[in-house]
Order: sequence, then C-alpha cells, then structure tokens
Amino acid sequence: MKIPPYPLIDPSLDAPLDVHRATVLPEWIDWNGHMNVGFYVVAFDKATDTLCQQFGCSWEYTREKIGMTFVLEAHVTYDREVKEGDPLRITTQILDHDAKRLHYIHMMYHGTEGYLAATNELMLMNIDYGTRRSAPWPEWAMERIDKLAAAHASLPRPSQASRLIGIKKK
Amino acid sequence: MLVTLPYEMPELVTRAPLDLHTSTVLPEWVDWNGHMNLAFYVTAFDQASGAFMRNIGLGRRYVDGKHGMTFVLETHVTYDREMKGGAPMRFATQLLARDAKRVHLFHEMYHAGDGYLAATNESIIMNIDYNTRRSAPWPVQVAERLEAVWEAHKDLPKPAKAGRVMGLAKKT
Repeated sequence: MKIPPYPLIDPSLDAPLDVHRATVLPEWIDWNGHMNVGFYVVAFDKATDTLCQQFGCSWEYTREKIGMTFVLEAHVTYDREVKEGDPLRITTQILDHDAKRLHYIHMMYHGTEGYLAATNELMLMNIDYGTRRSAPWPEWAMERIDKLAAAHASLPRPSQASRLIGIKKK
Repeated sequence: MLVTLPYEMPELVTRAPLDLHTSTVLPEWVDWNGHMNLAFYVTAFDQASGAFMRNIGLGRRYVDGKHGMTFVLETHVTYDREMKGGAPMRFATQLLARDAKRVHLFHEMYHAGDGYLAATNESIIMNIDYNTRRSAPWPVQVAERLEAVWEAHKDLPKPAKAGRVMGLAKKT
C-alpha cells in the first residue's frame, strides 16, 4: 500500500523528536504518593502513539484494519518521582530499525523543573491486521521512518539504552 | 535500621520458584489492539512483586504504618504472547540476587488456563525510608526472611530471558 486512506502528517525531523506533552493524572498515583510504575509505561505508550503518528501508523492504522504495532520488549529506568498534576515532556530517539521493527528510547522529563524522571527503551514490531503476525512496514511508513532515523543518526546514544539489569552495577 | 516491625509477620513461603500470585486481566487493561496493553503487564507484574514483598513482611501495613516503602528502580519486560480481557494469570517468581537494601526479581507470567508463557519481567526494587524517601537497609526481620528465600532460590538455574540487552540483532 503506497498511501493510507487517511491524511499523513509531515514528520517532525527535530532530533530527538520533541512533540509529546502530558500531565500526571490523579488515577496514576499509588499508595506511595507518586506515579505508579505501570502508569509511567501508560504515559510512555502515549508518546509511542505520537511517534507512530509521525509515520502514519497510529490509531487510524488500526481503525482502518490495516495493521497494528506490538511491543516485543521494554526496559524502564525510574530515575525520579513525579507527583499528581506534574507536567511531563517526553522526547523520543530512534536507535535502530529494520523492515518490520523499530528500536527507540523515550526520555521523560518534568515539564517545568526539567529533571529526568524516567526512560523507556522499546522494540516495536509492525503487525498485519488480518493475520496478527509480523509484516514489513507499509511504504509510507518505511519512507518516513528512514527520514526520522536519518535525522536522529548523529545523536549520542543515551547511557540508559541497552542496559543490563542487575544489582552489582551501582 | 528498623529492628522490629509492630505487626505480625505472615507465614514465610520459600518455594522455589514462588507461586504466590494469581490474577485476571481486567477489561480496562485492554487497548485498541484487543489485548492487554503493555503498561498493564507492568502493573500485573508489580502486583506480583507486591506478593513477594508481603511474603517477606513488607505489605500495606509497612507503608500505612509509615515505616517504609519499596520503590522499583528499573524493570525489563519481554512480551511473549498476547493476553485477552478476562484471561487468568499465574506468576512464578525467582529471587535472582539481593543485597542490604535491594532485590533483583524475575517473574514469569503464564496463562493459567492454557499454560503458555505470556511475558517475563525482571525488576530491581529498593527499600525506602518513609521519612527521608531515600534508600535504607531492609528491616532486620525482613532481611532474615529474605535470606531464607535466597537460600531456597540461589541454586535455581538462571532463566534464559533474564539479563537481556535490547537490540535488533537478537531476533525474538
């Protein structure tokens, strides 16, 4: 498929992608009085939607029954607490990609204080709607992913990417 | 370091791996792809970590009594197979390492009916002082219980999905 049956946006080629903004919702807070571990990933997943919009594979892609994107693997570092109502700024850097997968990392910052709150490294795979199995990115997406990746190619690799989890490495 | 906690400790379970937690995929955990959203796997695993913590004496009373808390520092998930709304889950938990204030846990999530492996999760969790919100050694009773679990788990083989570094070369 060359063009999807819905409008595409011009991808933002700022490096890293710096489009996504959010606010910590009351229902994301746990009994420790801060955003719960699971809801960091909810917030990051919405930033993934923003990323997928850049190359035309977000909600409309599934609504039109063309395809879906599934996460294969995720790694989160929880760097600092955020509280209810805190503004969030999430930037995204593409690390690698191939014909059906995208490897990237989100960095979550407190929107006004500027500190790094968390990072989320993800491996995303394109899925055919009918078979629910992996499939190559559609042409329009591949073209835009290539452009985004080229724009991000010269960024330094964040130290939180490709981390090995363990107790010794502190 | 807290020497005693002013509540009764539950009976300690040291099975290897631990099988303390079961759960069900809630309707609100399902996303537009018609399966459990990735974030709620983390929530489900966090509840399995909660079961581990209750076992060593750090349940809700630990927080409500303002003694301390436990914070997750880092987590790694492999998504192995889809789970639909209402699916029953069972968890197997292995203690991979521990020190004076941290544990390194490995959970496997299975579909409790069909038996398949749905996901794995590796987490580092740290004990936190309630007042300073900074790291602190495990309370003495808790450290003793943790040691008993460690004795039971230390000779288990390391799970194949533990210690993964993400990258495109490693095809899943």
